[in-house]
Amino acid sequence: MTSWEIFLQQLFNGLLVGSFYGLVAIGYSMVYGIIKLLNFAHADIYMCGAFSGLIILGFLNPYVGNEWLGIIIALLLSMVLVGLLGVVIQRVAYRPMLKAPRLSILITALAVSMILYNTVLLMTQGQYKPFTTGLTHESFYIGALRMTETRMVLLLAALVLMFLLHMFITRTMYGKAMRAIALDRDTCQLMGVNVYMIIAITFFVGSALAAAAGIMAGVYYGTVHFFMGFLIGLKAFTAAVIGGIGIIPGAMLGGLLLGLLEAFGTQIPFIGSSWRDVFTFVFLILFLIFKPNGLLGRIESERM
Amino acid sequence: MFKLKSSWILMLVLVLFAFSLFGCGGDSAGPVDETPDGEAEGEFEGQVLFGIMVPVTGSEAADGIDMENAGLLAVEEINAAGGVLGYEIVTTTGDDECDPSKATAAASKLISEEVVAVIGGYCSGATLPTLALYGDAGIPFVIAAANATSLIDENPGWAFMINSTGDAQAAKAVEWFESLDVDTIALVDDGSAFSVDLKDQSKMQWEAAGHSVVAEDRVETGTQDFSAVVTNIMAANPDAVYWTAYQGLGALLIRQLRQDGYEGVIMVGDGSSAPELLDLAQAEGEGVYCTAPPVVDFLPAAQNFISGYNDSYPREPGAYAGLMYDATYLLVDAIERAGSFDGEAIKDALAATDGFEGITGPVGFTPQNTLNRSNFVILVGEDGRWALAE
Amino acid sequence: MAEIKNNSQKNTPVGMIVEQLYLFFDNKVPRYLVMSAMTAFLIYLPLSSSRFTQEIMANLFFYVVVCLGLNIIVGFAGLLHLGYAAFFAVGAYTTGILSSVYGVNFWLTLPFSIIAAVIAGLAIGAPTLRLRGDYLAIVTLGFGEIIRLTVRNLEITGGAIGLIGIQRPVLFGVVLNQITHFYYLFFILAIIAIFVSYRLHDSRLGRAWEYIREDEDAASAMGINVVSTRLYAFIIGSAFGALAGSLYAAKMTAISPESFMFIHSVMILLAVVLGGMGKIPGVILGAVIVTLIPELSRDIGQFRLIIFAVLLLILMLYRPQGIWPERQGISTKL
Repeated sequence: MTSWEIFLQQLFNGLLVGSFYGLVAIGYSMVYGIIKLLNFAHADIYMCGAFSGLIILGFLNPYVGNEWLGIIIALLLSMVLVGLLGVVIQRVAYRPMLKAPRLSILITALAVSMILYNTVLLMTQGQYKPFTTGLTHESFYIGALRMTETRMVLLLAALVLMFLLHMFITRTMYGKAMRAIALDRDTCQLMGVNVYMIIAITFFVGSALAAAAGIMAGVYYGTVHFFMGFLIGLKAFTAAVIGGIGIIPGAMLGGLLLGLLEAFGTQIPFIGSSWRDVFTFVFLILFLIFKPNGLLGRIESERM
Repeated sequence: MFKLKSSWILMLVLVLFAFSLFGCGGDSAGPVDETPDGEAEGEFEGQVLFGIMVPVTGSEAADGIDMENAGLLAVEEINAAGGVLGYEIVTTTGDDECDPSKATAAASKLISEEVVAVIGGYCSGATLPTLALYGDAGIPFVIAAANATSLIDENPGWAFMINSTGDAQAAKAVEWFESLDVDTIALVDDGSAFSVDLKDQSKMQWEAAGHSVVAEDRVETGTQDFSAVVTNIMAANPDAVYWTAYQGLGALLIRQLRQDGYEGVIMVGDGSSAPELLDLAQAEGEGVYCTAPPVVDFLPAAQNFISGYNDSYPREPGAYAGLMYDATYLLVDAIERAGSFDGEAIKDALAATDGFEGITGPVGFTPQNTLNRSNFVILVGEDGRWALAE
Repeated sequence: MAEIKNNSQKNTPVGMIVEQLYLFFDNKVPRYLVMSAMTAFLIYLPLSSSRFTQEIMANLFFYVVVCLGLNIIVGFAGLLHLGYAAFFAVGAYTTGILSSVYGVNFWLTLPFSIIAAVIAGLAIGAPTLRLRGDYLAIVTLGFGEIIRLTVRNLEITGGAIGLIGIQRPVLFGVVLNQITHFYYLFFILAIIAIFVSYRLHDSRLGRAWEYIREDEDAASAMGINVVSTRLYAFIIGSAFGALAGSLYAAKMTAISPESFMFIHSVMILLAVVLGGMGKIPGVILGAVIVTLIPELSRDIGQFRLIIFAVLLLILMLYRPQGIWPERQGISTKL
């Protein structure tokens, strides 16, 4: 491959992986924005999304096949299901804790994460599961860029989801309420906003997007397993911080940027892919030191 | 009202905590050597305790449970045939979770229960720190699967490895690559002790044979996206790619390589030899080679074992089941040759093993207590199943 | 506010039990009686117990030390730390490299491992402690992964295989290589850690931490330098962790990157929070729960972690300040 071809290929790879990071990062960012919680369970929700997609696809297979139509139905169903899971988790584990010490709610988040993770571990016996789709991987070239249909569709789908979310946040009453609560919860309550319902909707949307990312990862990579959420969770978190945590367009931007950074960072001599994650986290720390509010964040005078 | 309810739940939680603290502490007293009381069967003179050390929980639990099953099956057969030196074998399992610090606790548990000998050992990293413990306690340890070369240096003389070590596997890989007229290769590992060892050995031997390694790369456990690795490999364009770690990540790598249009040879190491690799890699698994331990499916001597295993357990024997079965029989053979349950005598008998016929082939040891032959075979993926390539 | 919360807790059984414990331990005579009885029992224990029991107990003492170290950061100063295993690794690898590569005597490696931890603590703490509390959590989490991946990729740290053949320490001419030796070594270390923790808690610095934790703005207004006071906590806690890591390396004689995974940081944090942040006996109780439950319930296999997590969740929901918290209550702020 010439270096131009490598450049193009890495650009595309970075965008695709970055869009997965972005979808997961949105969930972190929304939850952090509204209740100031690092939702550790979010990475496991991504993983649960992938598994629920796999199971639903298995049921659908005899009726609609397991190609794009089946995948789209499974995707929508899982988004609803996992979104509801997110709401239930929020209701059971987080809502009673909103007034408790900040550390305690973090621990409940860790506990929820452990429950989800170990349940799936137990059910799958720790094995990787094939995510079988009927898609072929016939490739074609766009200029020097090698492309498959799957990749094109997935990247488009991720961008469409992000666009829809953006419309939801900026153009609907619920989106407006979310942004208002993020600014000042108590005042919103006084103004008659049903704060708890908005928090539940936030969890629903965040979890649904994570589930979508999980299924898309399943379709793209072809295997799912209980551990798949951990690393992407950390990366998505980094992405949320880079974009400015609590700011939704920031999470999308941060995700894409991080994807590109990783794709090109590993091409630098002496930073092989074994150093990829170190590179990411060093970048995170540097970012926090020099630009702690993220790319799109405003300067906050308040100290927590 | 609410307070009353919450206090009940709290009580319940505390009671449960207390239960898990104390409830499970008592039951692992373990069988004792001579048990004349009660229903000890008349035909045995007493009982002898073997330790099984494998990961039965954690990420490598699937293979660990498979090995435990194979060991138990062998013990059952031996007991049915009259036991060892007239004693009935009973077993106790130490779960190493494939984690070095958990492994030392598991080894201490087995030593505390005064086992006569230990069989097992799956993850090299977890097996490593236990070697000194068994050595200090004077307990012979037959290692069925773990085979990193670093185990050799740390062995105080009480451990015996019946799986060929990493260098033998690398030699087999080099031999097979040469027979396919491969000249340049790429090596990929996952950073685990075992896979890095195999990668280093392969690199050394491949370069010593006058060929070149054009790319070396690593992927992290838990990663799904290997595009960076794949792009590097595609750019270096080697004749073959050798994956030295486990099947989960291996399948991802194979798929992504093939989908990005890599057309060279792909080979995987023994960590990926489970049939799941081909399920996971789906269509892309066709034609992938594997340097595998002696998988029982292809061994004529193992057909009885397979049917026995299928009768007792609801699954197929995996990659290391045959070796574990052999380890158990080898230990019993050594005890009978030693004529006693004394650790020192068993160790000497094990070291003197010559031509023991296991289902995976004859066993004998080098002066370093490793298998004195290479037992690796080459498999190839055909129609979603492994087949012998040789 | 804190006062009210504590009163309401009195009506729950745990609250009542803890209240009784407070009353009991506030009185010095029974406190010293119980403590000397326990010490005597623990000194006697290895003479009459199996190797496995000693191993578990040695691990427990070790965990007590690590948890007390993290408690300085999380409990005393109220900073959330998610990468404590990294500092632990810094200590373990400093000792490991010096002892197995350069052949330095074990005891002489200890100062170096403390220095290494202080440097790491400064590098991470100094820039981030100026920021919002949550950022420290993320940075420490990232740092934990950096350290693990770095020791895995470097030559000198033995790569993925780790370091093997670390020398056993020698004390008064005796090579410490039996589990009983380590049982006593860690026991003494735990006692020292408890003592140091109490002294720190009652010191001027300890009061400053408490002040900042309860009300940062007020503390700042009273002339306490918030950033440097927090930095002290962070560095002292890190040094604790590194010291424990060095001893871990000596006990295991082999260390590998797997011993320093994120999950270990989480378990230590769980122990601290579960028992009650800031309260030293509470932290010890937390360490006991976190080490003993998984060990003793091995037979339930994978279920144990689920049960553990569910219990943890319920406990947090109904007793968010931990089982045996500080009396004053912990601030609702980080």
